[in-house]
Amino acid sequence: MIRFRRQLCFGLFALVAATTATLWLNGKFHALPNYAFLTGWALLAGMFVLTIYNVRKKLPFLPLGKSETWLQIHIYLGFFTTLLFLIHLNFRPPHGWFEITLAWLFVLVSGSGMVGLFFSRVLPRRLATRGGEVIFEKIPALRHTLKAEAEKLALGADAKSPAIAEFYAKRLADFFSGPRNLWLHLAESRRPVSALLSELEDLRRFANDVERGKIENLIALVRQKDGLDYHRALQLALRLWLFVHIPLTYGLLIFTAWHIVLVFGFSGGAR
Amino acid sequence: MSEQLPAPDFDAQNYARPNQNWICGHAGEGRPCPLGPDAKGRCRATAECRPLLETQPGETKGRWRCTRSGGACESGPLPDGSCCRPIARCSPVPTLRVWRGRATLAVIAASCAALLILLGNPPWRNHFINPGEISGAHSGAAFAALAVTNHMSQNCGACHVAGDHGPNGMVNAALHTDPGMLDLKKLALANTAGPTAIDESCLKCHAGRNVHQPDAPQISCSFCHAEHQGKVMAATTDVNCDFCHGDGAKMAVSRMTPVIHHFADDHPQFRFITEKMRDPDTLKFNHELHLTGATIPKLPGGQKLDCAFCHQPDAAGAFTRPVTFEKNCRVCHSLQFDPETPELMLPHGSEEFVSAYLRSLSKQYLDLAMKENRTDASGFVEKKLMDLQAQFGSGEDLERRIFFSSATFGPEANIGTLSGSTRAVFPGCAYCHEVKNSTAGSPEITKPVMPERWLAQAKFNHAKHAGIACAQCHDAIHSQDTADIILPPKETCQVCHSPQGGVASSCAECHTYHQPQLVAR
Repeated sequence: MIRFRRQLCFGLFALVAATTATLWLNGKFHALPNYAFLTGWALLAGMFVLTIYNVRKKLPFLPLGKSETWLQIHIYLGFFTTLLFLIHLNFRPPHGWFEITLAWLFVLVSGSGMVGLFFSRVLPRRLATRGGEVIFEKIPALRHTLKAEAEKLALGADAKSPAIAEFYAKRLADFFSGPRNLWLHLAESRRPVSALLSELEDLRRFANDVERGKIENLIALVRQKDGLDYHRALQLALRLWLFVHIPLTYGLLIFTAWHIVLVFGFSGGAR
Repeated sequence: MSEQLPAPDFDAQNYARPNQNWICGHAGEGRPCPLGPDAKGRCRATAECRPLLETQPGETKGRWRCTRSGGACESGPLPDGSCCRPIARCSPVPTLRVWRGRATLAVIAASCAALLILLGNPPWRNHFINPGEISGAHSGAAFAALAVTNHMSQNCGACHVAGDHGPNGMVNAALHTDPGMLDLKKLALANTAGPTAIDESCLKCHAGRNVHQPDAPQISCSFCHAEHQGKVMAATTDVNCDFCHGDGAKMAVSRMTPVIHHFADDHPQFRFITEKMRDPDTLKFNHELHLTGATIPKLPGGQKLDCAFCHQPDAAGAFTRPVTFEKNCRVCHSLQFDPETPELMLPHGSEEFVSAYLRSLSKQYLDLAMKENRTDASGFVEKKLMDLQAQFGSGEDLERRIFFSSATFGPEANIGTLSGSTRAVFPGCAYCHEVKNSTAGSPEITKPVMPERWLAQAKFNHAKHAGIACAQCHDAIHSQDTADIILPPKETCQVCHSPQGGVASSCAECHTYHQPQLVAR
């Protein structure tokens, strides 16, 4: 934790210093000829460093420094690049379909990156409070196991309880058959599982001793399944933001390349 | 609250590899096959073991032995040597990583396709890449007509080299720019004010470079006139002017003005003050007398003579109409040369007309008598001529007095009188004009030269200053001499036109880069 705080302090200090220096330089040199070209190239350089983080992840065998360091650079440079983007735009909204598309791509990429940073800082902490570690890829198998156990308890040959079998068929079969309550888990709402547990409690109140034991086991399985859904929802969020961040990065790079072509091809220097 | 989840015991047989692209289709059921799918997502399931043929010495057929890990199965291999426990094949499932890769490829494909379609189709291309609305001057029907006249394209190609080309042409143009795309040093130090290829397009319609100084460096049109900024072209800023006027080396060469960065800071005093310039007009006029003099009569409407009576705004309100004798002077300064006959007035505007009029006085009096239906017209004319002769002597003397008398000084006596509360009668041409002797007939009156505008290099709009009293800028009540140039000094303007004053004070507020048209009377 101390190391993390030290990293955070250093990163924030570097970001604030770079931002201050850049704003000062912008105020001093914004009237320079070709200033937009220079800020554009600086922005492109920043985007390039941000992009090669993905390459670095794919080449772990090369001695290119620790991935953790790269991630820190990626995060703080990402914020700094957003400032460069605003300076390149001269703090004014873009005009024209091409430039608006390009700007939106940048906003979506940097915005998804910020959302991803928020998720990666908040969701793991939440996950740690709900049971042990679960590997995302194993969740379907675990869910299948829970479902099988629940079916065995409610519908198995030695179940012998029509009330439990009926309740399972009406309320639990669907719950165990797949992931449920994705958005409610992300919103930290436990209303659905509480309602289910409340119904099971009602059932338990009127059950005999044998049935009561089975219901208590079912309650444990429902809780485990709910925890599994919670893990799935949060781990999915931790992965899905990359579905915006990475694909749109490539779209942004393609549009950026054409932006450079258009800027130079339509500049006064074009012959 | 924490619930106990299934323990994540490490299972060497079912080791999950999240970085793999495919997972076994049975993984969701909790029984993935140990082999797993191949890299291309194909199921590799065959059987639980690959039986081994063991042949004892002397045997020819041999026996198949089960090689299943964890112990041989009960049934053993089939007679043909295949395993008796085949593994059910599955449909491998792509991992999120694969889906992400597919999404990436889809975005790349969509981006490339969209760009190719939009950049490859000229009408769409022009609309798509246009970085901002083009000014009204460079769009619309009028510009289209000019483009046809000057054999220009009517789209982006009217100005841009790459404007008429597709993606290939754009890339080609981008690769042949000067400075080059990656020539960062040259790009940083480039003279963006210098003429560019785009200027050649501008000059097709705007022939010639009409600059404010003949030796001014050639500036690119687009350096000051930024296009794609909206319907109205963006205003020129001080940065544009600073390119020359903020550069000591350039201004040293020009020897025109010192380095100027901003009107409120280092703009020099107006030259008409520093060089003590005088109004060269020969007309005699005393502003102080006309505005404050006790002898100045009221105007016909009863109001007092003020600035606005003579200096009336033009149609646009930016400047004032020229002061003319007929509109502004005659109301007080009539040309009655004979106080006894106020109906007769000298013509104004030409010495020859005045001479001709005076030499035909008998006819003028006769016309008057006829007009007034006098019965003794010839007697009336004779009497008038005799009165004039008694007062002024010969006709030559009369003409000389009319031209050269100035009421207050001069070699000749006054023609009329200026005393009393009545309107001034004609005191003589020299009262207002410079009159010279001429060898050819009538005396010569120097034509008044009244420029419609002073500081012709500067823009000004009186209408915008209507809320300010005239005297706040023009110190006319202390000016007795026509030669006074009654314009305010720089400091008067700076009271408002400065950051402190809060009114715009950029160069372009007053100046224009291009040569203004001087309007002189």
